[in-house]
Amino acid sequence: MIAPFYKYGMFGEEMSLVVAFVIGLAFGFILEQAGFGNARVLAAQFYFRELRVLKVMFTAIITALVGVYLLGRFGFLDLSLVYLTPTFLVPQVVGGLILGAGFIIGGYCPGTSCVSAATGRIDGIFFVAGMVGGLAGFAEIYPDIEPFTKITSFGHVTLAQMFHVSYGLLVFAVVVMAIGAFVAAELAEKFVGRKEPGAGALTGPGRKLTPVRGAALAFAGLGLVALFAGSPYRNAFARVDTKQLALDAGNAADQVAVTELADWIVEGRNDYLLVDVREAAAFATYHIPGALNIPLATLTADFARRNERIVFYSDGGLHSAQAWFLLRSLGFPAARMLSGGLEEWKNSVLYPLAPAAGAAPRDQIDFAKRTAVARYFGGAPRGAGNETVSPAAPALPQLKLTVPATPATDTPQPVKKKKKEGC
Amino acid sequence: MSTPPDTPPPDKPFMNAYLAGFILGLVLLAAFVFMGRGLGASGAFTTALAASVHAVAPAHAEGNAFYAEYLGDGTTNPLKDWLVFEVLGVFAGGFLSGALANRLKLTIEKGPRITNPRRLMFAAIGGALMGIGAKLALGCTSGQALTGGALLNVGSWAFMMCVFGGAYGLAWFLRRAWL
Repeated sequence: MIAPFYKYGMFGEEMSLVVAFVIGLAFGFILEQAGFGNARVLAAQFYFRELRVLKVMFTAIITALVGVYLLGRFGFLDLSLVYLTPTFLVPQVVGGLILGAGFIIGGYCPGTSCVSAATGRIDGIFFVAGMVGGLAGFAEIYPDIEPFTKITSFGHVTLAQMFHVSYGLLVFAVVVMAIGAFVAAELAEKFVGRKEPGAGALTGPGRKLTPVRGAALAFAGLGLVALFAGSPYRNAFARVDTKQLALDAGNAADQVAVTELADWIVEGRNDYLLVDVREAAAFATYHIPGALNIPLATLTADFARRNERIVFYSDGGLHSAQAWFLLRSLGFPAARMLSGGLEEWKNSVLYPLAPAAGAAPRDQIDFAKRTAVARYFGGAPRGAGNETVSPAAPALPQLKLTVPATPATDTPQPVKKKKKEGC
Repeated sequence: MSTPPDTPPPDKPFMNAYLAGFILGLVLLAAFVFMGRGLGASGAFTTALAASVHAVAPAHAEGNAFYAEYLGDGTTNPLKDWLVFEVLGVFAGGFLSGALANRLKLTIEKGPRITNPRRLMFAAIGGALMGIGAKLALGCTSGQALTGGALLNVGSWAFMMCVFGGAYGLAWFLRRAWL
């Protein structure tokens, strides 16, 4: 079992909406419990009276940060599949400043205003209405400012990648920084807010190991573990579940039939990647429409996401089988190979063999369909006109293939139109 | 002295901030593990707005690059969206928690020195700024600061510092609204 569950197809879109509601329910519940349905509590943060915003937010961040790190490090969560909002540095800095201004003027942020409105706060309802108005205004000016929203693009990038430091070091640094900020926040509450720290504070009375202090120590400890435990991303060291591989190979669950692939292409399906693992020269001479060329020697784990359906093919089946084994061992559960390779593609899809004269009507109908598919890919049926052709020794002068004049399907895989995952 | 029977029971105090943060972190982690994405809020309002504009003035919505992005390719209802359902949950969860803690109250949260109309005007202005800022930054405190913060996202950390910077920078000028 490997997470993210949704991206590995463990449940579908309908179910994801149920998950969304349940997660939202917990999110709203805890925001209200934290006091964030109340603008006075939120605003007190910015006058150093009561720093609940900082405490709640950074505790949540280090909890999820350490959690993600550990789950990733021990192979339960594929961190490369967790959506990372792309970085556009200047627009995000400007947006952050505007958002900060909105926070102190209005007293909420979008999430907390929902909770505020839901608990009857009229100011929260006005805030939500104002936000919708702001969004509508943004939509109207968007055509004019669109170029600005796209400047200083850095793509999907983490601090670890940007500054070439280890992920674990950053986990440790953020945990230590957060605990330091909590102590500073409590001191501010004490001296500015005139609020003595209670038993639930790090700087509370006494020297006993309270639950809060214990938790802080535990987090510092986990941060130290992260510092030395290596990358949370799945790495290039192969790990093979030999039983599962043997099972898939044994019952041909690892294969796609050539006629099946042909149907996918004709239907215009785009939920898979077709990969040609032959050398570039062979690829240039002929390839199946829509295929990417990744010669076996250059195959690494970074050309596709791990939940992607991949179909490998080569001339026969040897190289594609090797590619399949490589990627399965690198943790691509949906890698498969084209049964029989290009040879079979030519024999069954491009130049299908007519059935014998007395063949069952079903075979005749099937052949008619195969003929249409063959023409679509620029091939032609063999033995049409019902002359008997021995399947054992087919005369195949046409198998010296040049690139058939295929219809305009030889485009790169269309990019899947995904809905936005960000906020 | 006993409490008169018609006095509502007092509000429960808020949860310990660290405990609330820890639970919030677990909720965020659950979103990562189940969905491979984090929490959000502002995006749901954008989707709802785009769908509403589309219902009233379809040509206008489709001609606007910003709305078009939230409407999708027209094959599915844009409101059948993860964030929309998540935010419906936020409303429900907030209400539930408020009800359990006796904090459901039709009232205005404000500082002692600001009038009600002025507070409501400020709330609406703040909301409008949030809407604009969140779209520029590709997320709000939930989708960027919290989610991206936990994923060590570069833009999210820059954003988060600027949110605190912007709010602290203006706090002195707005002290009459809150203190």
